[in-house]
Amino acid sequence: MPSTRLVALNGSPRGRRGNTPLMLDAFLDGVEEVWGTRPVLHHLAEAGDSEEPVHVFGEASAVLLGFPVYTDAMPGIVKAFIEALEPLCARPEGPELIFLVQSGFPEAIHSRAVEAYLERLAARLRGRYVGTIVKPSGEETRLRPKERNATLFARLCELGRSYATTGELDAKVLALLASPERFPWWLSPVLRLFFRTNTVNFLWDRQLRENGVFEERFARPYAPS
Amino acid sequence: MHITILNGNPSAERDAFDSYLGAVRDLAERRGHDVTPLVLRDLAIEPCVGCFGCWVKRPGECVFSDASADVCRAVIASDLTVFASPLIMGFVSAVTKKAMDKLIPLVHPYFAVIRNETHHRKRYERYPALGLILDKGRDGAAEDFAITQRLFERYSINFHGPLLFTRSTEADPKEVADAIDAACGA
Repeated sequence: MPSTRLVALNGSPRGRRGNTPLMLDAFLDGVEEVWGTRPVLHHLAEAGDSEEPVHVFGEASAVLLGFPVYTDAMPGIVKAFIEALEPLCARPEGPELIFLVQSGFPEAIHSRAVEAYLERLAARLRGRYVGTIVKPSGEETRLRPKERNATLFARLCELGRSYATTGELDAKVLALLASPERFPWWLSPVLRLFFRTNTVNFLWDRQLRENGVFEERFARPYAPS
Repeated sequence: MHITILNGNPSAERDAFDSYLGAVRDLAERRGHDVTPLVLRDLAIEPCVGCFGCWVKRPGECVFSDASADVCRAVIASDLTVFASPLIMGFVSAVTKKAMDKLIPLVHPYFAVIRNETHHRKRYERYPALGLILDKGRDGAAEDFAITQRLFERYSINFHGPLLFTRSTEADPKEVADAIDAACGA
């Protein structure tokens, strides 16, 4: 049976305003449906220098840690948190660990290296590695109307139910969430053309125009003189 | 050649690591390289908050003024940037990772296709090649070393600079200096 002392930790540097907590919440919806109680969601970005997240981790028998991919790995604040966990490695048994890694890239391949790190981290902390939920194209989540996130949230909720019921993450749902792993090679020329259109850059361009810096979008302020 | 060494040792008490990098630097300079060492723990670098201001408000620069601007300037001006860090909990230090996060102003938000994958476009015409020096630490396992190298190989694609070498501090500093020579000649 899965552990009922599950806590969730949001590692988004944006805190509550990020995409990650939306996804963690959807997973917790599923857990709550099964258990009737909702695990608490903590936000690392709000903790500052407090040791509270480490204490929370130390008391839990299962932890769901979610974060966005920053430069191909965990954000710096999450790495700092992981380092603060080092004394807990000496315990004979750590908590079960579930990870959620979401990135702004459209393919899951960008998250696989950090996934390997997380599996090793679970072993280092002497906890059972339950698995990693990998979600590409996560950046738009907070920007989309709620109905356009319905499938994403339903799948995360299903994973929450799956974990709360069996202690495992449903492999089929994990695969659906992570799709596409990467684009087929023959699509590259099409993508190259697509990435040169205003369609795909629309969100960036709109913000650049709103901020009055569209013409400076290719600025090179650190170019050697 | 211009070389930037980013020293991610979080603690001055780990003086053996700093001494090792000092030896590498001395050797590189004696071989004619121009080396800029930056000790990241001594720089006031605030963690990236994911605001994307460096892409949509002040293109190419972090909107929060901190020492990351100095790191960006040194990195993009170099032919080779060496990330150097002890492995802590199986990866480079948080000090190093926070500095890496603040290098995103150097790339562009628009996407490009590289190796049949989606990556960020270049902002600059040229980027430094990358090197990696790791201290395996107290519980240093080969697996941690391999995972960290894999993560930096991924990072090098997004950063548009190939990862040309990874060395452990178990190696003789001369061997690292040789790797630097080879990287600068590549």
